[in-house]
Amino acid sequence: MRDYWLSKLFFDLQSSAPLGEEYRAGRKSILDRYPLKPEVRKAVERDDVVFLASRVNPYLLRFYFVVAGMPETEFLNKVRNAGAESAARSSHG
Amino acid sequence: MAELVGVYASSHAPLIIRGWKNVSPANQGSLSRSMTELGSRIKASKADVIIEIAPDHWVNFFIDNLPSICVGMGEEHEGPAEPWMKDCPYKTIKGHPKLANHIVETALEHDFEPSMSHHLTLDHGFCIPLWRGGLEPMPPIVPHLSTDLAPPHRRVRRCLQWGTMLAEAVRTYPEDIRVALLATGGLSHSIGEPTMGEIDEPFDRECIRHFESGDERKLIDFLNERLPTIGNGAAEIRNWVAAHGAADRRGFELIGYCNCPEVYVGCGFASWNLGARV
Repeated sequence: MRDYWLSKLFFDLQSSAPLGEEYRAGRKSILDRYPLKPEVRKAVERDDVVFLASRVNPYLLRFYFVVAGMPETEFLNKVRNAGAESAARSSHG
Repeated sequence: MAELVGVYASSHAPLIIRGWKNVSPANQGSLSRSMTELGSRIKASKADVIIEIAPDHWVNFFIDNLPSICVGMGEEHEGPAEPWMKDCPYKTIKGHPKLANHIVETALEHDFEPSMSHHLTLDHGFCIPLWRGGLEPMPPIVPHLSTDLAPPHRRVRRCLQWGTMLAEAVRTYPEDIRVALLATGGLSHSIGEPTMGEIDEPFDRECIRHFESGDERKLIDFLNERLPTIGNGAAEIRNWVAAHGAADRRGFELIGYCNCPEVYVGCGFASWNLGARV
């Protein structure tokens, strides 16, 4: 599944250094420009890597969290958990 | 007529630039030796033009439109846009529209329908191997962008055929120019996935053995079977396959391999001895 506007947000942020700086200074005004579904916006606001991982290309996910400033070890832990949680869900039907 | 004077392949891990200080001295040495050697071989080829095949890392194309392969037709290309590539000396890069046009015409004659662009940005996938290989000044580039990062992917056998077509396009280009081909990407790596950071060295070694053997069928079967089972970055090996096709499936020589966890990539560097063709 690909969420178009989430993908567009991530794509735009990693394409423009000034936009990335603006985003790190304050997300709200930039998030307001994208018609994200409420649950998607909440996931972005709380850095929910697991939720977002299933909705965008993995490279865009990676690039986004570099721009957003998430420490590398934190991202690695969270993205690896995305696999564990996905496996847990599938094993429970 | 033009002549194909060299065929090369290289990894292009971003952390070679962005995280170099975190790479161990041993791996820094290994990577530096390989990239310098690769650059020396490209320079020694005295190429007037380089055809370069690399994936688009979400720089030129978005999910609105993802061409499976796009040929850069422009007089000039933009240098890398990534903020961490700011020290790269290639701010703009010359193109070679006439050769690019001839490649597209040849492709159409061979039942390929590539996309075309007259204005491309060449990201780190294009620039890291040339920059770290010391290619300055850089010859004009005819870029081929592939969508290796966004499945479904080009079939491996078609990548091989694409390379064969490129060699034919060079052979039939009417000007006396020397043309090199550089494919970038791979080997095994995983980005933004639960397996991020995993390097599959046994896969990489077996892949290298298949390139060395020159057995086309075994290479295709191996990659068809294994690529879907390992990290997403290995999809870029399709570009190496195109280089292998351009070299007529012979003469592969590994310059160096470095299982480098600090950059998340099994880094490979290679050239094809075109004199091995019979």
